[in-house]
Amino acid sequence: MGLLDKLSGWLGLRKKEVNVLCLGLDNSGKTTIINQLKPANHSNHLGPLSEEWKHVSQTQAQEIVPTIGFNIEKFKSSSLSFTVFDMSGQSRYRNLWEHYYKESHAIIFVIDSGDKLRMVVAKEELDTLLNHQDIRSRKIPVLFFANKMDLRDAMSSVKVSQMLCLENIRDKPWHICASNAIKGEGLQQGLDWLQEQIAQSTENNEHMNE
Amino acid sequence: MSDSGSDGGKWLDAHYDPVAGLYTFSSCMDLADLSGDGESRLVVGDLGSGSSGMKLKVYRGTALMSESILLDLPAGLVAFFMDLHEPRIPAVAVASGPCIYVYKNLRPYFKFTLPGLEVNMLEQDVWQQVREGQIDPLTLKEMLESIRKQADVPLSVRSLRFLSLDGSDMDEFVQLHKQQPIRRQTVITCIGTLKKSTADEDGVSCLVIGTESSDVYILDPEAFIILSKMSLPAAPTSMDVTGQFDVEFRITVSCRNGNIYILRRESDKPKYCIELSSHPVGLVRVGKNVVVGCTDESLQGFTQKGKKLWRTVLSAPIITMAAMNLPTRGFQAVLVGLANCEVQLYRDKNLLSTIKTPDVVTSICFGRYGREDGTLIMTTKGGGLMVKILKRTAEFDDRDSTPGPPLAQSVRLNVPKKTKLYVDQTLRERENGLAMHRAFQMDLSHLRLAAAKAYVKALESSLTPMSSSLTEPLKMNAVVQGLGPSFKLTLNVQNTAACRPVMNLAISFLYDESLYRMRSPYMRIPLLVPGLIYPFETFVECTSDKGISDIIKVFILHEGKSSPLLTAHINMPVSEGMTLN
Ligand SMILES: Nc1nc2c(ncn2[C@@H]2O[C@H](COP(=O)(O)OP(=O)(O)OP(=O)(O)O)[C@@H](O)[C@H]2O)c(=O)[nH]1
Ligand SMILES: [Mg+2]
Repeated sequence: MGLLDKLSGWLGLRKKEVNVLCLGLDNSGKTTIINQLKPANHSNHLGPLSEEWKHVSQTQAQEIVPTIGFNIEKFKSSSLSFTVFDMSGQSRYRNLWEHYYKESHAIIFVIDSGDKLRMVVAKEELDTLLNHQDIRSRKIPVLFFANKMDLRDAMSSVKVSQMLCLENIRDKPWHICASNAIKGEGLQQGLDWLQEQIAQSTENNEHMNE
Repeated sequence: MSDSGSDGGKWLDAHYDPVAGLYTFSSCMDLADLSGDGESRLVVGDLGSGSSGMKLKVYRGTALMSESILLDLPAGLVAFFMDLHEPRIPAVAVASGPCIYVYKNLRPYFKFTLPGLEVNMLEQDVWQQVREGQIDPLTLKEMLESIRKQADVPLSVRSLRFLSLDGSDMDEFVQLHKQQPIRRQTVITCIGTLKKSTADEDGVSCLVIGTESSDVYILDPEAFIILSKMSLPAAPTSMDVTGQFDVEFRITVSCRNGNIYILRRESDKPKYCIELSSHPVGLVRVGKNVVVGCTDESLQGFTQKGKKLWRTVLSAPIITMAAMNLPTRGFQAVLVGLANCEVQLYRDKNLLSTIKTPDVVTSICFGRYGREDGTLIMTTKGGGLMVKILKRTAEFDDRDSTPGPPLAQSVRLNVPKKTKLYVDQTLRERENGLAMHRAFQMDLSHLRLAAAKAYVKALESSLTPMSSSLTEPLKMNAVVQGLGPSFKLTLNVQNTAACRPVMNLAISFLYDESLYRMRSPYMRIPLLVPGLIYPFETFVECTSDKGISDIIKVFILHEGKSSPLLTAHINMPVSEGMTLN
């Protein structure tokens, strides 16, 4: 990092670029979550939608189709400039995930809290991810969304973290939030945690570089 | 949620409810997207206790979504598209007794009843007489019994029930039933689906049903009329259907006579027959072949024309079988539930993996469940429900597990190049083969002749240590003991005749007198009892100190005969005692 870059970084003139990988099984709500975070939805920074805008977001959510391969989305927060890789969760595309591990600075892992049956599949994919050579030794922050908390038979975020054995992740910062991607609930809280983690890790890195 | 050892960690344990209260067979389970939301449900015809509690149950994920009462025991259940309406939601057909109950959106929609069978005329007459009050129940019983013995048309269920009653119940039964006409119904034993005209995944399907009356019917899915009727030599127990009704199809049916029949579109009679050595338990089609599980704990593969391909022996009796098709990975295999709490996966005759289960598995169903294509659903004897999901990374290696030629056999040996000499020799042999063979045969004959001559000479001059004489059959061997110059010579003489003793024999030695001195160069032999071995000992002194040895000849002689009976040559060892001195 050049001195100028650092300066502009400190002064907040140029936002730091971070790559976020959004993973999870198909139909878990990854695309829906990212759509909520995108600037087109101005309301997303304001938390849950106000009543009169609800129909807008809902029609948008209904347009979402299963992702093929992956999509790249960009959006900015107050301090960071995000590039999100919205990966397809279908089993035939899951082998694409690992090609993006190296470049990513954070991972968002989305779980459908209503899909009890496939919790083992989510766990299997998560374990494979955490044991991958490009992830294993890194202190990369992982944000979990226990999505679809609005469903009648949804499991609580505590139950989800139990079933995924998240307590076994000791060498990476992680956090789990219950969310409802359609209404945008719970997303901001998770994103705040992620920003904080990224800020911390860059600080650490800079210390190390000096 | 652990990987169990023997299946090599290929399956994820998604769900196990040991007390789900689900009692069913593979034929009464199907997977279908019943809501049109891309999520497959599990539809089960639950047999309950076998006499009550029969239910149609639908599972979504790990939860029971709906259940409704079934009036009779289900014999089979299939989900199928009966029309072209949008959204594409399949109907469910449950076969029980002589009827098929069709459910749409899980609501009863239509009931189809099989046509009645021909009724015995005599039986009809008898009941007519009962109705008119001409005969009493006892006479009725007698008459029905005699009809049952002779008739080629079997009795109706009503008459059979009547015959099984005690005297006291007969009156009441007759009063209750006599007004109704007699009907004879068959029951459905198995059910399948057959695409009508397209092979599309969501194409309209006909129902194919097998009945106790040994018939197979194909039903039109919209009008529920019988499109085709075919006859079998025996009652079907399970079947597999492939193809399209309007184009070409093939129905493979296993029957209660232990045979498998293959029906084709052109004919209402079986086209091929597979005769099994024991009864079939399950039938699964894999590609173009049929895999049959038999009661003799074997799994057998046949072509679609009934030609036997292979047979493999299993470790326990087969309880149930199902196909494992994973089109996205081009994978096809057969799942076999065994009585020893194992579910084995076979590709052809090769065992790919074994799943151990806590209870005996009574039904298996593999396919898309929820949003997962590779889901294995099993129910157990104790009413449990088990769901396993095939790992995305699971691979089954097609190792030939049956003992056969060792692997080394197929390794190519590093054979050296042919030399010029080898090539020349080969050419020579090829050109002069006949001459070489003749020369060889001639030499061989010469050799044989020479051998025979020598043998005859030896016999004639009694040069052998065996006597061929018929009157004095003798055998002798000699042992030399000692280092020299003194040797002990023992001659063991045996009369090999069956019972006749030999008399008047003597032993004489011939030797170089400048070399050896013998204590008794002539000995008389006493009477030789047959069978016994007589040792005769004598001492030989070597008189030379030059370290040389010679042959001592032994003769067994008969008094009054000039030629010896036996001759033996003893190679004397070199005397070592002399040199020691
Ligand atoms: N009830 C409810 N439905 C949701 C929620 N989030 C997403 N969905 C729905 O879930 C379905 C799948 O959402 P997607 O965003 O396409 O899921 P995805 O993870 O991107 O799926 P793939 O692209 O196939 O990997 C859509 O029909 C969404 O409307 C939620 O919080 N609650
Ligand atoms: Mg998506």
